[in-house]
Amino acid sequence: MGSAGLVPIEILLVEDNAGDVSLVQEMLFRTGAVPFSLAIANTLAAALGRLRAGGIDVLLLDLGLPDSSGVSTFTSVHAQIPTLPIIVLTGVCDPSIALTVVQQGAQDFLVKGQVDGNLIWRTIRYAMERQRGRRELVLSETRVRQLNESLERRVADRTAALAAANRELETFTYSVSHDLRAPLRQIDGFSRILVEHAGPALDSKSQHYLRRIQEGTQHMGRLVDDLLNLAQLGRQDVHTRATPLDTLVNDAVSELRADWGDRRIEWAIGALPMVECDPGLIKIVFTNLLSNAIKYTRPREVAKIAVGCTGSNGRCTIVVRDNGVGFNMKYADKLFGVFQRLHRADQFEGSGVGLATVQRIIHKHGGEIWAEAEPDHGATFSFTLGHRGNHSAAEPA
Amino acid sequence: MRAPEVEVLLADDNPADAELIMLSLGEDLVGRIHHVHDGEEALDFLLCRAGYAQRTFEAPLRLILLDIKLPKVSGLEVLEEVKRDPRTRAIPAVLLTSSRLEEDVVRGYQLGANSYVQKPVQFERFRQIVHQLGAYWLAVNEPAPSRGFSGESQ
Repeated sequence: MGSAGLVPIEILLVEDNAGDVSLVQEMLFRTGAVPFSLAIANTLAAALGRLRAGGIDVLLLDLGLPDSSGVSTFTSVHAQIPTLPIIVLTGVCDPSIALTVVQQGAQDFLVKGQVDGNLIWRTIRYAMERQRGRRELVLSETRVRQLNESLERRVADRTAALAAANRELETFTYSVSHDLRAPLRQIDGFSRILVEHAGPALDSKSQHYLRRIQEGTQHMGRLVDDLLNLAQLGRQDVHTRATPLDTLVNDAVSELRADWGDRRIEWAIGALPMVECDPGLIKIVFTNLLSNAIKYTRPREVAKIAVGCTGSNGRCTIVVRDNGVGFNMKYADKLFGVFQRLHRADQFEGSGVGLATVQRIIHKHGGEIWAEAEPDHGATFSFTLGHRGNHSAAEPA
Repeated sequence: MRAPEVEVLLADDNPADAELIMLSLGEDLVGRIHHVHDGEEALDFLLCRAGYAQRTFEAPLRLILLDIKLPKVSGLEVLEEVKRDPRTRAIPAVLLTSSRLEEDVVRGYQLGANSYVQKPVQFERFRQIVHQLGAYWLAVNEPAPSRGFSGESQ
């Protein structure tokens, strides 16, 4: 407070003994190096009244008053203005009272007869200085808290906005893919009816064009269905329960049986743990990953597809590996994007939605998924399923 | 010979879809299908009012094919009214729609739909499904005897 020399310090002396009042008054005046004014109250009630009027910078407080005594004198005043520096000035040196009031926030405890003007003034200056520091601390704490609160509020607002935008986007995707189905069915339908109607009369080129139309609608139909599934996934809640992963893998493999026909595939399905997950969703994960493995090993005379698990103690990583055509790791970041494909459609068909779906399911489980591959040397997809209650070893279902 | 009785009401505002449905139901049925383009007309027909005041409830309607998204009055609203009215309650009503929104399916069944069928994108599958629907409700299913006109005969 650099202007302390100009603005007088307002001191309130609370003392009922007239002799003590003049003693303190004299000490203050004699050694006062700064301008000050002194107000006097001889009861607690008068002191509280004066404090309510405001303007007091520091309080010199006797604990023994006609209407109050002991520590409660201090607590009454302190409760009214917690930020006001209070110096207790009392006739008896009772160390336990001294300790109590200082613990409760008094700046100092002085014993009459053991003080002189210099000590009082020093005490007043230090008390005011300490109190100012404390006030600033409280102020900055309040500021930090306010900033925190506003930050939290902003985060909550943004999160809500993001959730709303996501919902809107999902609703949009849903209705778009839904409304796309009708015209698609019509194109497919009428082109087929046209073939039936005029087929034999059409030349081979026309028949070829009609086939192209039908291929197009079929592909778009798959895209729309996959998009619909992806959009629906966003709206779906995860219902977890302890699930034996090997059952899911076996189910997925038998569902995909038609995909590989008479090709030779060597399956290596290792022991898989019991995991806390949504069985329906995780089966979609396996179906997608295994269907990819079957697809991208097509050029191999003997395809090798392995499913296993590494790690232990509830932090296992599930691994799906194949010896297929792999991909360049340069494009690994595109792997899980919607409609992103790393292979030509005429070599490996697909909608580019499968791995996006897989990733979304894994994320919904609080897990991670990543891939490692090398062109022509197969691909490995690994995923975790979060750390919530995952059992380490295979347990009976 | 009388004109063949209308046995099926098809409510679909999309003319191409309606044509595909009629083609799929089979040629022998085409003359017995009445096609309306919105929910209001569907209700007028079913409840024999407005432009269909000359219709009577005695006409044995055996199937209603309802799209959910219909102009003016939605398919679900049509369904609600049909299933509330004792004169039309017994007519089998099938929701044949592109929507597979869970709430639509649930609502449809709550309102008394006899069946809920999603139109597939692939026409071959679509034709199969619609054909089976027609075969089931018009040939296999035993319609409820109409109480109001017992004794009426050829």
